[in-house]
Amino acid sequence: MHFWTKLNHKAIYLVVLLTLKLPLSYAQSQSAIQPATEQARGISYIWWSMFWVAVVVFVAVMLLLAWGLWRGKSKKPTKLSYLASRNLVIVAGIAVPLVTVICLVGGSLMLGRSLSASPPDNALEVRITGWMWWWQIEYLDENSNTIATTANELHVPINRPIQVYLESGDVIHSFWVPQLHGKTDLIPGRTNSSWFEVDVSGTFRGQCAEFCGLQHALMGFLVVSEPQAEFDAWLANQQAPAQPPENNEVLAGQRVFFEAGCHQCHTIRGTDAAGTAGPDLTHLASRQSIASVTRKNSRAHLGGWVADPNGIKPGAKMPMSQLDAKELSDLLDYLQSLH
Amino acid sequence: MKDHPHTEQAIFDDQEGAEPILDKTWLSPPGFFGWFTHVNQRQIGFRFVVTSLIFFALGGLLALLMRLQLVQPENTLMGAEFYHQIMTMHGTTMMFFFAVPAMEGLGIYLVPLMLGTRDMSFPRLNAFGYYVYLIAGITLYLALFLGMAPDTGWFSYVPLAGIDYSPGQGVSFWTTMITFIEISALTAAVELIVTILKQRAPGMTLNRMPIFVWSILVMSFMIVFAMPTVMVGSVLLALDRTFATQFFVASGGGDPLLWQHLFWFFGHPEVYIIVVPALGIVSTVISTFCQREVFGYTAVVLSMVTIGFVSFGLWVHHMFTTGLPHLGLSFFTAASAMIAIPSGVQIFCWIATLWGSKIKFKTPMLFIMGFFAVFVIGGLTGVMAASIPFDMQAHDSYFVVAHLHYVLIGGAVLPFFAGLYYWYPKMTGSMLSERLGCWSFWLIFIGLNLTFFPMHQLGLDGMPRRVYTYLHNMGWGEVNFFVTCAAFLMAFGFLLTFINTLISPYKSRAAGNNPWNADTLEWWAQSPPRNYNFRHLPVISSRTPLWQKAPLYKVTGIRADRREIIITTLLDAKPQGVCIMPSPTYWPFVLALTVGFGFLGFMFKPILFVVGFFLSFFAIVGWLWPARPWLAEKPPEEGHPVRGLQ
Amino acid sequence: MSTSINNDQQTANADVDVSNFSRHLNGQNAPIWWGIIGLILIELSVVSAFTVTYLYLYMQHPQWPPNDIAPPPLLIPTWSTILMLLSCVTMYLAGKSVEKNHSKGFVIYTFASVIMALMVLWIRWQQFDNFDMRWDQHVYGSLLWTISGFHFIHIVSAAIGTGAIGLFGMVGFYTKQRQIGVVVDTMYWNFVAFAWLPFYLVLYYFPRL
Repeated sequence: MHFWTKLNHKAIYLVVLLTLKLPLSYAQSQSAIQPATEQARGISYIWWSMFWVAVVVFVAVMLLLAWGLWRGKSKKPTKLSYLASRNLVIVAGIAVPLVTVICLVGGSLMLGRSLSASPPDNALEVRITGWMWWWQIEYLDENSNTIATTANELHVPINRPIQVYLESGDVIHSFWVPQLHGKTDLIPGRTNSSWFEVDVSGTFRGQCAEFCGLQHALMGFLVVSEPQAEFDAWLANQQAPAQPPENNEVLAGQRVFFEAGCHQCHTIRGTDAAGTAGPDLTHLASRQSIASVTRKNSRAHLGGWVADPNGIKPGAKMPMSQLDAKELSDLLDYLQSLH
Repeated sequence: MKDHPHTEQAIFDDQEGAEPILDKTWLSPPGFFGWFTHVNQRQIGFRFVVTSLIFFALGGLLALLMRLQLVQPENTLMGAEFYHQIMTMHGTTMMFFFAVPAMEGLGIYLVPLMLGTRDMSFPRLNAFGYYVYLIAGITLYLALFLGMAPDTGWFSYVPLAGIDYSPGQGVSFWTTMITFIEISALTAAVELIVTILKQRAPGMTLNRMPIFVWSILVMSFMIVFAMPTVMVGSVLLALDRTFATQFFVASGGGDPLLWQHLFWFFGHPEVYIIVVPALGIVSTVISTFCQREVFGYTAVVLSMVTIGFVSFGLWVHHMFTTGLPHLGLSFFTAASAMIAIPSGVQIFCWIATLWGSKIKFKTPMLFIMGFFAVFVIGGLTGVMAASIPFDMQAHDSYFVVAHLHYVLIGGAVLPFFAGLYYWYPKMTGSMLSERLGCWSFWLIFIGLNLTFFPMHQLGLDGMPRRVYTYLHNMGWGEVNFFVTCAAFLMAFGFLLTFINTLISPYKSRAAGNNPWNADTLEWWAQSPPRNYNFRHLPVISSRTPLWQKAPLYKVTGIRADRREIIITTLLDAKPQGVCIMPSPTYWPFVLALTVGFGFLGFMFKPILFVVGFFLSFFAIVGWLWPARPWLAEKPPEEGHPVRGLQ
Repeated sequence: MSTSINNDQQTANADVDVSNFSRHLNGQNAPIWWGIIGLILIELSVVSAFTVTYLYLYMQHPQWPPNDIAPPPLLIPTWSTILMLLSCVTMYLAGKSVEKNHSKGFVIYTFASVIMALMVLWIRWQQFDNFDMRWDQHVYGSLLWTISGFHFIHIVSAAIGTGAIGLFGMVGFYTKQRQIGVVVDTMYWNFVAFAWLPFYLVLYYFPRL
């Protein structure tokens, strides 16, 4: 962390604690001022610069105002002469803002130019498609062919530029991982792009930032950054088709999957399930969360979700299932086998 | 058909005993049915202000409901659908049904008084605009109570607001009512412009015009150029939804971004449409309470005009994250940040005015002081958000929620309430309670800072806006809890002012004509003004007519037995002619009903729009039907020298 | 209390008597004249919004109109455009007649204008059949139909309004002094006629570029 960033952190804590005494917690951070990439650090840096300039400007204006009012309270109030008033307006009202604004605009344009430049050649390319209300993630090879598909959990290698192509399957969404970069919209009929390079291993939460209907609030996703080797292993696993069922429960579960019609919306590569309306489930069990990072990927949560998706996310497209306890248990066995 | 001969004995308003005749001439008919015939500017302006305050209260209640839902993570007070409805209605109400009508209402009420005339240029159009506003507001709230309110946000982004993703009637209500209410804004704007340009008292040259009137003039021109764009946008959206046109449908060759351009080309000037008149109020109140003219009249006026112009070049800063080329966006960064300069000029003109003045800190002045602090913060965060990289983080997060409320509450609501405390005595004849006012101010001021300041932090912590809930482990719970509590504090502050306005006529002392010893003409009239506004129409020879020692000269030869007002030239305000104003009538109300029928009908059966169109035509003919006797043909004596003006 | 009177400008030194001022406001001294200017400004904003919308969408598409779609035929709309502009001349003559208190001429010219407008409407109505595309197939069709329809409605309202004015003229309402109704109606008429030109340009020529 940069020295400045650190100092600024302490300062904002101090300011806010002194004025508001608010408890601050970064339990699961989605914070724009805890950057983990060069890109987000640049933005964070520009924010803190502007923050301190703003503090100075605000205090200065208020002090001037107070001083002027105080002059009126004194025994012999002295009004400003025309010349003094004029100079005040020219200096404080025109010159100072002009210079400040030019500096801020100049700085932010320089940063903006580097953010909008094309990524280095060795960038990993990923296509992200927004759907109401989940994220489809496709890894691309050099020819832009999809090599692996997953959902709501973007794994990236550290110290390598990641180029994301952003598209939408329905309405406008916005791809935002505050710790990695600012947001970019996913707009039907267009392909937007953005790139960043994570330099620490970790898990970062992101969330849709453009109002997209009923479950806009719970359209989250995770970005997991890991060393290249671990990432390669993960990607190799994601590329592979699903493992065939190993025991009877799992086999029964697979049968339930098809009988209940899950395959009409979900794909499980290596089986006949090739639906495209919902997330790819080939390696569901390898993900940390379900329902767009609304619940942990545990057996209990998964069961609750399968039984009644609308109980967790009202409006979700997935219908309620009519399974008895045995069927549900088998299905969960199957889903949990999809590593 | 013979013209009515010019035989009746004319009675002029400068004759002895003309008062009862003037009173009768300018009377607004009493009674319930009379109410629908009123056309006088004070009645209509007052209705605009009162109605907008009611909508402000409704919008505020919706905001409190939203805060209750967000008080804790994963709250189940209300469902996503209802939350989105009240979120949409809150934004729509505050922008379209409170802020713009409130400022227009103040303008309609005050501008003729400040200009020294007896009515607006088109009194019936004025009344029509009010009914349109009322019908649109009632309709949208009926939809809310029926559970059919729009739920795609006040900005109705497509394709979410398109028929595929919002098949219900909600968005249809939004598109038709927004198109409809813009008619009201546009009619008010046109007649404010014409009134200001053509009805100033003789001698009130453009550079003697009160700053508030300038601010209303700038606002009106902005409305004329901004509102048509959103009308076009909402009409295209309605066509997309009703007739399956493809304007915003990507698969049909349309472009969702087109909507954003159309919407924000209106939407950004909209902010300044609200803020500029508020700046006019600030200048007025400061000038009165310092008992001196605002320093730098020309600079202040030019700043407002500049803001008006520049605000049309900023709209793309609402679209920094849409993936448009960085080079193109840069222009909008620079333009947005440059707004700081005309704002800065005004702020320091006011500080120069305040400097060393003996100021009485009555309630209006308290609100102005609050404005300084809050508006400066809002402006500073605005400059921050003009930075493209930072905006990529701040955009659509709670940081922007904080910013926009600082700007709109600081820049518009606080000055508006200052104006309310300031002009209430003129409108009702009694003062508002200072004690309640003081309490109200401090509660609002503290409440709003505690509500919105922490939202900056929520935004930086990654909380997006327009979310109906958030998860437990996000760490936003405490701040949200705090914010909700503070919001109630602020709401209580507003409630005190509402109570104040309701009880003061019974409790408080009479105001007198000029309780603040102000300099502008409205304080020359009685409080509340008589039907005819002024006993005599004044002649102006300075910027501060009521502070000059000599009594005002007056206009003579205006007839008292019909509604006559004087028309003056555009720049120099030299008398040019006398205009006879129309009398009270039902037609504006009928026309509002027929147009409203056309718009509402369109939602259900498009052919009803055509029916409404032709019904409206009959209403217009009825409205314009020349009253008999036709104005007599006695030719004026051409070239008669004007006495009194050199 | 401060007083500040600007002495550099005209200063009132007596009451102003307006009893002899005209009560017949017929030009720029009439509020309604400025009101119509305001209405025209609003409508100009609308016309520009439509035109810019067209150009914006036009620039989004390399292929305009879309494949296999013919641009709308040019000849007849051009005649209707000329007819529309000619009707401005008859409206002008109608105004001149009022100026001379020539009420018969006024009625004749007014209804001549209305009839020309009706002919334009009839031609436009035929044109709708000649559009090679429906409004719901592609945004190109949506623009063609919406903008044409938008202007169609304007001609209808201008024709109705002018027809009403012609009727008022028949009962002798309009005279040299009371001609403001005719003046503003003519202003609006001219606006409707000339507002067609940008639409004509984008709808009929841009698809041919």
